[in-house]
Amino acid sequence: MPSKEDLKRRAAEIIDAKADELTAIAKTILKNPEPGFRELKTARLVAEQFGALGMQPRSGLAVTGVRADASGTSAGPTLAILGELDSLIVSDHPHADPDTGAAHACGHHCQIAMMLGAATALTNHDVLDNLAGRIAFMAVPAEEYIEIEYRDDLRRAGKIEFLGGKPELVKLGEFDDVHLAMMLHTTSNPAEKLMCISNTNNGTVAKRIQFIGRASHAGGAPHLGINALNAAMMAMTAINFNRETFRDEDSIRVHPIITKGGEAVSAVPADVRMETFVRGRTVEALMDANAKVDRALKAGAMAVGAQVKIQTIPGYMPLQQNKAMAEIFRANAAELVGEENVGYVDHRGGSTDMGDISRLMPVIHPYVGGATGLGHGATYVVEDYALAVIKGAKALAYTAIDLLGDNASHGNSVAGGQRADMSIPEYLKFMRNLASEETFKSG
Amino acid sequence: MTTPALTIEELKKRACETIDKRKKEIVGLAQQVLANPEAGFREVKTAQLVAEMFQEMGIQHESGLALTGLKGRIKGGAGPGPSVAVIGELDSLVVTEHPHADPDTGAAHACGHHCQIGMMLGATMGLLTPEVMAQLSGEIVPFAVPAEEFIEVEQRLEMRNEGKLEFLGGKQELIRLGQFDDVDIAMMCHTASDMGERRFAMGGTSNGHVVKFVRYTGVGAHAGSLPHRGVNALNAASFAIQAINALRETHRADDTVRIHGIMTRGGEAVSAVPSDVRLEWRVRSSTPKVVVENSAAVDRCFQAGALAVGASVNITTIPGYLPMRHDTKLQDIFRRTAVDLVGEQATLVMPARRNRGGSTDMGDLSHIMPACHPYTAGAVGPGHSKEYVITDYESAVIVPAKIMAMVVIDLLADGAKRAKEVKANHRPLMTKQAYVKFQRERAEITQFDGAA
Repeated sequence: MPSKEDLKRRAAEIIDAKADELTAIAKTILKNPEPGFRELKTARLVAEQFGALGMQPRSGLAVTGVRADASGTSAGPTLAILGELDSLIVSDHPHADPDTGAAHACGHHCQIAMMLGAATALTNHDVLDNLAGRIAFMAVPAEEYIEIEYRDDLRRAGKIEFLGGKPELVKLGEFDDVHLAMMLHTTSNPAEKLMCISNTNNGTVAKRIQFIGRASHAGGAPHLGINALNAAMMAMTAINFNRETFRDEDSIRVHPIITKGGEAVSAVPADVRMETFVRGRTVEALMDANAKVDRALKAGAMAVGAQVKIQTIPGYMPLQQNKAMAEIFRANAAELVGEENVGYVDHRGGSTDMGDISRLMPVIHPYVGGATGLGHGATYVVEDYALAVIKGAKALAYTAIDLLGDNASHGNSVAGGQRADMSIPEYLKFMRNLASEETFKSG
Repeated sequence: MTTPALTIEELKKRACETIDKRKKEIVGLAQQVLANPEAGFREVKTAQLVAEMFQEMGIQHESGLALTGLKGRIKGGAGPGPSVAVIGELDSLVVTEHPHADPDTGAAHACGHHCQIGMMLGATMGLLTPEVMAQLSGEIVPFAVPAEEFIEVEQRLEMRNEGKLEFLGGKQELIRLGQFDDVDIAMMCHTASDMGERRFAMGGTSNGHVVKFVRYTGVGAHAGSLPHRGVNALNAASFAIQAINALRETHRADDTVRIHGIMTRGGEAVSAVPSDVRLEWRVRSSTPKVVVENSAAVDRCFQAGALAVGASVNITTIPGYLPMRHDTKLQDIFRRTAVDLVGEQATLVMPARRNRGGSTDMGDLSHIMPACHPYTAGAVGPGHSKEYVITDYESAVIVPAKIMAMVVIDLLADGAKRAKEVKANHRPLMTKQAYVKFQRERAEITQFDGAA
């Protein structure tokens, strides 16, 4: 029986042998960027690759998701290795699709390639025959929470219920048989070094807001109008008046935009639309801030005697990573890039739907370098594919071997050592309760 | 009755001669009040001075009316007839930086009321000229009234709670107490600093208003270590003030809306989240209807402030003043008298719609009886500011004393023919009972919990 070290060496050989092809896959995806729930070409590529590895992929999960499983030789936990299919929309990005503006400004193309790299190694019988349990390779759609209107249309058409890929896959039961989950995200932050483990990410809810006033001639009869733009301004002021009550450790973020600010400058604005996220580090803090934002929005309407419609859309849950799993990953990262090149960041203010999975089971969501520029901006590009894809693939494969090798002793202890925050039905109930539409009339 | 009757012109001349003779004394009285400023319902020394003067002049009077008011009665020698009040306001403002401010209380005559006491006493002296009094019918009521300036709201509410007052303005309270029941016509003159070349002005109108005492209650907490446990009442109030400003574009120019206030308490210590913030606010407009509309809009803004941060707010709405409606016939007598005394060029009649923006409880009185509230020159500087001082006592005290004495002679001489005409011509906008009911309906206390 080969040791875990033997298996990792073999995995590395397999990945190295396929390094050029994996890098080419990443670059192919880079050149064909597709935003969430539209990742048709990317999904097809993944399904072909899964098939080529001898697995039977299932496609069209949550519109575009693809899953293929590989079983070890004895019973044990199921470990999901995830790669995110979707791009952002950053039309001035150097690799943007000229038609759609879609661009991989967050490195997801590398995630797919490294997941396929890990799959190549882990489905090889030299490795797989020495693992217990099962590995579910999942290409998941729509991690970036964008194009809310398009997704809301999909929702109204009954094609999805949730606007993020992983929550939708949970609803579809794709995580019912999964016990552990991991993925690896690229980073451009030098402080996070070559590889980085982290602890938490903010959760988020999204809001679509409409202030409804009464139009009138802004010069001739402003006294007959109700200014919805003033209502929105007052709402933002009210939000700011609450910021002092947000605790540092809760990392609350509230950052609205106005998507419609009036029709014509000569009329009192009667229809003003706003979108915002509310983010926080814990569910409790997020819900507290969410309630304060709702109250502030109503105060804005009340200030001028307008109405406000508030649609609250469940976003992502706060991410809480499993420490034991993170330690396994850290040790593997240290072996791949050197102890001194492994960073640690406690909390990140952004959000990911890996947070939702983290409420249900032990997960990790570490980082690998190789990118430069600002995430989600036109400058974010991957420069070091050997790190971002090849070493990333190895880190995932090594961690899987640590978890599922040796009769999955680590995998079992990690899976058994963490009590889930919620069951899947509880999670779905929570998300559904969070979805609301409310109209507040004042005056 | 051996003395031949004097003409009205001769009576006026005699009265003016008396006033001129005692000019120094009259101006001295005004300056004595200036040196002893007292805010409304606290005009103890000023009332004492008026009482001494009434005594000296042999005027039968009551005092302590609406706490500090004094009402004299002088019967004309020519038989019964209407009763005409010549009013002077006792109270000062509080303007700490004013050159004549009381160093202890900050009280200061930054609105010229000290001149009103001087001119009221001066007019009375002129009218008390024996041959003048002998030919007047009816009754002259020299009336020193408290608390025209609607300030120190919290303190006055305290007095209200103690049962000392119901309404917070002096004339309002005197109306309620029945002290104007036996008065038929009322007049006073106010000093002004914006007269230009004119020396005497009348007409126009003033704003009606309601007054608010607003108290926000939040939750105090260490502002450095536990701000998340606090609910910031100062933020609630700040939001409300911004909300009020966001409404200004909806105010019609014709309505002369003025919404303004002060924060009388903005927190206890800078290291704690403010939990007790208090405001005194005022909502003014040209008609009672628009006052009521804006009062509701302002309440909504105050409540929105509480909602914005999850505080609670208690709003006490206090009946304020009604817009001034000058009796046209009485005003015309004033106009002709002023033209006689200071000349056509120096006399201004403002159109009835011209709203000076301020408010006076003479407006309340003008809703229930013929009244006139003209302006006299002599002041400089913006009213209610530290720069408002009287530089010309002749214009500020002596001229209006003479004009009021002459108007009273016009009204009450000749068997009070003119006073009876004014009364007959006047259609009061409200009865006293309707007035008291209307004002009581304005009084309201609402509690709103923004955290609920």
